[in-house]
Amino acid sequence: MRPSNPNDYRHRLLTPVGVWAVVLLGLAADGFAQEATTRADELRRAREAKAAQVAPPKQTGLERALIWLENDRFLERVLSPAVGFYPVLGSVTTGGGFAIGPGYRRSGLLGGQVDLRVSGAGTFQRYWMVDATATMPRLAEGRVFADVGARRYDFPSEEFFGVGATSRREDKVTYGLRNLVVGGGAGVRPRPWLSLTGRVDWLTPRVDGGADDRPIQDVFDDASAPGLARHTDFLRYEVSADVNYRQPLGNPRRGGQYVFTYSHFDDRDLGAYSFSRVDVDLQQYVPVFTERRVLALRLMTSASDAATQNQVPFYLQRTLGGPDDLRGFRRFRFRDENLLLLQAEYRWEIFTAVDGALFYDAGKVASRVEDIDLSDLESDYGIGFRFGTTNGVFLRVEGAFGSRGGKHFVLRYGHVF
Amino acid sequence: MTSSTAVSPRFYPDDPIRVDDDTALDAGQPVPIEGSNGFDFVQHTFLKPGDRRNVRAVNVNTIDEVPDSSWFTNRIGVHEMTPQEIARGPNQQESLNIDGWPIVQEKSSGITPGFRLTSPDGRLYQLKFDPPANPEMSSGAEVIGAAFYHAMGYNVTQGYIVEFDPELAPIREGATTVDMSGTTRQMRRQDVDRVLARAARLPNGKYRALASRFADGVPLGYFAYYGTRPDDPNDVHPHEHRRELRAGRVIGAWLNHDDSRGLNSLDMLEQRDGRRFIRHYVFDFGSTLGSGSTVPQVPRAGNEYILEWGPALKSLASLGLYLRPWMRVQYPEVPRSIGRFEADFFDPLAWRPEYPNPAFDNMRADDAFWGARLVQRFSDEAIRAVVAKAQYSDPAATEYMSSVLIKRRDKVVAAWLTGVNPIVEPRLDASGALTFENAAVTAGVATPPTAYAFTWSRFDNDTSADIGPAEQARSTQPRTTAPASILQGVDFVSVAIRTTHPDFPRWEQPVKIHFRRSSEAWEAVGLDRGYTSSP
Repeated sequence: MRPSNPNDYRHRLLTPVGVWAVVLLGLAADGFAQEATTRADELRRAREAKAAQVAPPKQTGLERALIWLENDRFLERVLSPAVGFYPVLGSVTTGGGFAIGPGYRRSGLLGGQVDLRVSGAGTFQRYWMVDATATMPRLAEGRVFADVGARRYDFPSEEFFGVGATSRREDKVTYGLRNLVVGGGAGVRPRPWLSLTGRVDWLTPRVDGGADDRPIQDVFDDASAPGLARHTDFLRYEVSADVNYRQPLGNPRRGGQYVFTYSHFDDRDLGAYSFSRVDVDLQQYVPVFTERRVLALRLMTSASDAATQNQVPFYLQRTLGGPDDLRGFRRFRFRDENLLLLQAEYRWEIFTAVDGALFYDAGKVASRVEDIDLSDLESDYGIGFRFGTTNGVFLRVEGAFGSRGGKHFVLRYGHVF
Repeated sequence: MTSSTAVSPRFYPDDPIRVDDDTALDAGQPVPIEGSNGFDFVQHTFLKPGDRRNVRAVNVNTIDEVPDSSWFTNRIGVHEMTPQEIARGPNQQESLNIDGWPIVQEKSSGITPGFRLTSPDGRLYQLKFDPPANPEMSSGAEVIGAAFYHAMGYNVTQGYIVEFDPELAPIREGATTVDMSGTTRQMRRQDVDRVLARAARLPNGKYRALASRFADGVPLGYFAYYGTRPDDPNDVHPHEHRRELRAGRVIGAWLNHDDSRGLNSLDMLEQRDGRRFIRHYVFDFGSTLGSGSTVPQVPRAGNEYILEWGPALKSLASLGLYLRPWMRVQYPEVPRSIGRFEADFFDPLAWRPEYPNPAFDNMRADDAFWGARLVQRFSDEAIRAVVAKAQYSDPAATEYMSSVLIKRRDKVVAAWLTGVNPIVEPRLDASGALTFENAAVTAGVATPPTAYAFTWSRFDNDTSADIGPAEQARSTQPRTTAPASILQGVDFVSVAIRTTHPDFPRWEQPVKIHFRRSSEAWEAVGLDRGYTSSP
């Protein structure tokens, strides 16, 4: 019963009786020459026996490593520090691959009101983005907020299957999209659950043939892909209202979120691609007898209205397909001026850090807003697991089936909605 | 402590000891033990550390009680305490006014926002604030939990409900905070504002907080709920076999102390008469009752480990159709200061901490019985006095908390006071009259038994064996008379008491009591409830 190294603090893991056994064995080894005469004497002898072999506690390498990680808040400091440099890990856009790059963050500038974030990230698929944003989230004790910023990105291999619900998978081509977005916005938050925002951005989108073997120009032209041949800059005006009473916010179990956005894209050079758009995104979370089981429902619709003699450029059209909407289809599988997406998920808690989910997605795109109805919907269903906490989902793994786009496996950071 | 070698007498002259002097040897210079939340969770969830044999608690004395030590000081278990005494707990002052006390450090451990301040006499205090959505919740739980644990006998630090006025709190030159770059730097007013942004603000603009006074001595980190400290010569009883730690499960269940784990303990190196020794504290009661420190307790708390395979697999396989019973609980609409706390669904036997605790796992029915007796000693009046200490602004919160604690107490007592043959307080007078109590009957959780059966024997202390023929007797009352033939000419006698009750077949397990002749009467020197399985 004697442990191989009784001075090792971690021997508690390996020897069940621990020091007590050592003490008793030690006493036995002393023989009967000096018997204890009182209970106090017996206990004192036990302690004296232990005193002969006390040693500093030892910890395993794993325990030391975890202590260091926790005490030094290593992951927080490295991955998401409040100030200073940090690595940007994740994604720059859907399908762009795993992104990595440097980031820098300062908060409390200019009298404590301004937070600054600058970051850059790239992927092995040669996607990259640089972003600089100054936010003022604490104006009027948090009831007013504002931001200004600029973003430059290059997505060299965006998939395109044509415009409309009848686009064909075999027409898949790629195009490259570069853009510089400069702008700012401001808003008010009259209630914790309500925010009203307005913003203006300058956009300079440019498309090219893409990095893959089959560039977009091989199959499509400016008539079938509006905006392909001629490039222009846009001024985008946007107002939105966001009602958000989800609880908890990051991984909702009840409540809802309703976002209404009106945007106007003003073609500044050609007068050919100006349009307006209304987006409505409604989410509702209904506990099924208990908050451990939730029915998560989403309706998202988008309707665009191009000005007379104008069109909506294909690269600014709403899309369906991919890990966040129609999960049984490839990303950007469908696109057009108008869109409808319906999603339903039944989520249940398996244990504290893992939820299961059964989901059903349906949606369509249409060139005319009056065609946005419940007929001819594309759909899929699937099952998934979400890993995270009440504050959010950091990883989800899903399998999507039942679509004419085949089976799809989804591994994605963050929640679907 | 009841162990002995073959040649040792069963009972020493000083049995039953009331004090285990585990400060006897100089502790030298032990080093602080740091802990990792992640490691602690993984280790206890997957590895089951410690000795898991079903053995009697090793630190009880010969009459099955816990002697005073650096771990535990018998209080309500051995003498009456007034409700006021109980409510006062470890505090040496009635109240605390911290206006003008300088901030010397931002609290760096745990999830609750706070500061460290120094009092005018140089003592260090830690402030912990309530979450904005649940004012009074965490601080209320802290003072209630501390008062109960203290009254039972555990070492806890002083804690006071205070109001913190940031306008009156200077930041001392040299006060430190650790920013997210890992750099320790001088605290600034913005740091104070940042911390207070996560704290509940009172209508008067101040912030209610718990002010905990740092314990005396040098901090040495935490104690584990298994093994012993290898650098403390006085620590010879494996913690998973210490009764007061095993029975912590009973108290944890009553108070919903789901965060009762090693990392929420504290070892302090003290010095007395030139000798250094370690005192062991339980602390951080912010996650007790309905409080989860920064949020209300999650519904799972107290009902299931963070990771428990059985229910998880059932839930997975049934696609959520299998609903754990605790998921069905409808918590009543109560003041936000309560958090999430109830008594109707509460099942003491099913209660669990956040993840397995070796000492709790080792708890046997005799340990639970000991813990339940402590819980049973808190009267309704005492519970109300302790709850009043939380100073809830809403009388409905005070009433609700009191009523839930009373109801949970009754459930704990009913569950665990009946798990063993509940014979207590045996007395044998000089005339041979034996009296005792049935703790379950006294507590009102059981009807009087059908009968008590007694087996009397003469006892040879040197050989630890009964000698001569045994004598049998029966009684329907908790009293009888020892046969004169048994008492004559011996220094030790034993009586095994078997209790017959139709509702409690476990009471058939006899309690064996040993008496030693003294100058005036007979002194109970041994009480053994025999083998007791897990409750």
